[in-house]
Amino acid sequence: MVCKSWYEIERWCRRKVFVGNCYAVSPKMVIRRFPEFRSIELKGKPHFADFNLIRLKRMVVTDESLELIAKSFKNFKVLVLSSCEGFSTDGLAVIAASCKNLKELDLRDCEVDDLSAHWLSHFPETYTSLVSLNISCLGSDEASFSALERLVGRCTNLKTLQLNRAVPLDKIANILRHAPQLVEFGTGTYTADVRPDVYSDLAGVFSSCKELKSLSGFWDVVPDYLPAIYPVCSKLTSLNLSYATIQSPDLIKLVSHCPNLQRLLVLDYIEDSGLEVLASSCKDLQELRVFPSDPFGAEPNVSLTEQGLVAVSLGCPKLQSVLYFCRRMSNEALVTIARNRPNFTRFRLCIIEPKTADYLTLEPLDVGFGAIVQYCKDLKRLSLSGLLTDRVFEYIGTYAKKLEMLSVAFAGDSDLGLHHVLSGCESLRKLEIRDCPFGDKALLANAAKLETMRSLWMSSCAVSFAACKLLGQKMPRLNVEVIDERGPPDSRPENCPVDKLYIYRSIAGPRFDMPPFVWTMDEDSGLRL
Amino acid sequence: MELQLGLALPPPPLIPIETFHLNSYGNYETREALGSNALSWPLLKLGPADNDINNIHHHNSSSSSSSSGGGAGCKKRSFDEAPFFDEKRNVPKTLHLLLWTNQPNDEDDDPSNVLHENSSSAIFKNDGEGLVGWPPVKTWRKKVHHQIPNGGAENNRLPAVENGIGGRASKSTYVKVKMEGVPIARKIDLSVHHSFEGLTNTLMRMFGISDGNRKIFKLTYQDREGDWLLAEDVPWRTFIRSLKCLKLIRSRG
Repeated sequence: MVCKSWYEIERWCRRKVFVGNCYAVSPKMVIRRFPEFRSIELKGKPHFADFNLIRLKRMVVTDESLELIAKSFKNFKVLVLSSCEGFSTDGLAVIAASCKNLKELDLRDCEVDDLSAHWLSHFPETYTSLVSLNISCLGSDEASFSALERLVGRCTNLKTLQLNRAVPLDKIANILRHAPQLVEFGTGTYTADVRPDVYSDLAGVFSSCKELKSLSGFWDVVPDYLPAIYPVCSKLTSLNLSYATIQSPDLIKLVSHCPNLQRLLVLDYIEDSGLEVLASSCKDLQELRVFPSDPFGAEPNVSLTEQGLVAVSLGCPKLQSVLYFCRRMSNEALVTIARNRPNFTRFRLCIIEPKTADYLTLEPLDVGFGAIVQYCKDLKRLSLSGLLTDRVFEYIGTYAKKLEMLSVAFAGDSDLGLHHVLSGCESLRKLEIRDCPFGDKALLANAAKLETMRSLWMSSCAVSFAACKLLGQKMPRLNVEVIDERGPPDSRPENCPVDKLYIYRSIAGPRFDMPPFVWTMDEDSGLRL
Repeated sequence: MELQLGLALPPPPLIPIETFHLNSYGNYETREALGSNALSWPLLKLGPADNDINNIHHHNSSSSSSSSGGGAGCKKRSFDEAPFFDEKRNVPKTLHLLLWTNQPNDEDDDPSNVLHENSSSAIFKNDGEGLVGWPPVKTWRKKVHHQIPNGGAENNRLPAVENGIGGRASKSTYVKVKMEGVPIARKIDLSVHHSFEGLTNTLMRMFGISDGNRKIFKLTYQDREGDWLLAEDVPWRTFIRSLKCLKLIRSRG
């Protein structure tokens, strides 16, 4: 709490508002508190909702809402919708038509009802303020390229442009010609019949982009067209090839041209060999994400193992953030990684098959992850996988003092595991757990901890309905939501585990927009049921 | 008496703690510290029986004491010794079901059965297609993989349509709903509904129609051919597959 004067000053001066959980505070409250804000970033769904764990759409932004924003805030400058849905291009059209001062429109990871690409034409001819546009999530089959070209052409301050897959390769050259000042560019589909004229056009236009630092897109890549970006590679700091279904040799060639790379997103086609090249070429690498090309295949389809991660950890002194999908891991590799790269702030490892043991010793990976939390003292985010007992949680509770977000799946033996985390991780803000044998005891014993966190998600665990009711009753500043598609939780015995549980702190009270299979446990729940 | 809740470390727990299993670890102060010897693997000094947590205190007692373990130890110590948040408060009867016992795995009567049932069914929820939401790869990434030119997934099955609504051109499951007399249309997510009753309940709530007034309204929908039809005249699956938008109209006579 600050003194009143500071409160008032802050209130009237704040231009940017970030709401990490849209249900933690009501719009009325935000508006009342920050009457002069110019930019708002809203986040809705809990992270695990991205993976089909719930059908519930937690952050619905309707066209009506967009219309309301557009009509109410004539000078609106920045709109960033992260993992939202419920709106269509109709809503976007209203934003485009009304927000004359809009500088940034970023629809990252949204699911948009693509009714028509013509919404782009709703930006008036007089509109020139666009600085950042991210429409990579849009699908539309018909695309209004001329409207896009004209928009890009007149917005001379445009720095970020991320197109959607529908924009064909041969249109990119025209668009880029209008915007040689771009710093971040996301292509559309990167495939076309190989034609020399298209190629040289593309290569030429990339050469003129002297400020380009970040590239993404690259859906459906045809390797022959990749060298067109070589002119910009030496300046690239960020490269997102996570949709590029090209093989290791092509990836290696590309990556070898990018000595200043700081951020790389790529599919596991890069393989261990490619990561070794990365480790020797890109000494400035800070963030690496390796996604699975065939996540549901039973057998490995590529030669990507723990060795690739070890190579990069050893070779890249600035590496601090990793998301790595692979099929095998060892404690030895993890300890090596931890000892050599204590500067990790984000470490997310997903061993594809749940409960996979150390492939060398067949032991749990407790000690390996323990080393990660022990050596990486600034670790803020951690995702666990593989065979893990309560022991790993003891290590985490003991050492991970700066940890803010923890993701756990198919791990642990008992409530002790959860207790270690809740009682030990002082900086914990978000905890998401699925398919772990954690139940009532640890949760209730650490109920107060939950108020110090943004949220807790537990699905397919062992928390009983009775415990949920108790929590809801005793903790008025928490929203305790039980999500269960089997029907009302009180139609089953009280000690029956709930399917999904989402607990978050809120000053807005229980929400009222839930679908029929979500129940809020509130103060009355103990008396009512 | 209100709970003493602050933003500091968790104060005394919500429920009384009798004994806590952690105490069987023995003396926390003897836990191995990281130390300056970066080449050793302090965690791996614990022997092969490590995975049995009951044995840990045996190993710990032989290692050198340090101060860094003391932090964790002190916290856990006070956790056990701290008074209940209000010693004078009457503990409601229900809490007796949720007391800590010596064995954290000690399940009360039935839950263990229920748990096992649920955990096994949870794993194969997706009707044999594998785990729901695992590996944690976003929907649009799943779609990428089905276009792998060589060596990729052999079965060309389409990304699982989450809600069983087939044949919809766009991937969104939201449809517009209008109510007669109300200028602003709303949107509703069809994927969360499986019956006319559920859908109607949601619509009534959305438009603030009381139970008493429900009968006044009828649900109609416009199908792909542009015709307006009464929703309840067709089976649910037909309705879901062919509807483009919904409208609540006042029934006449």
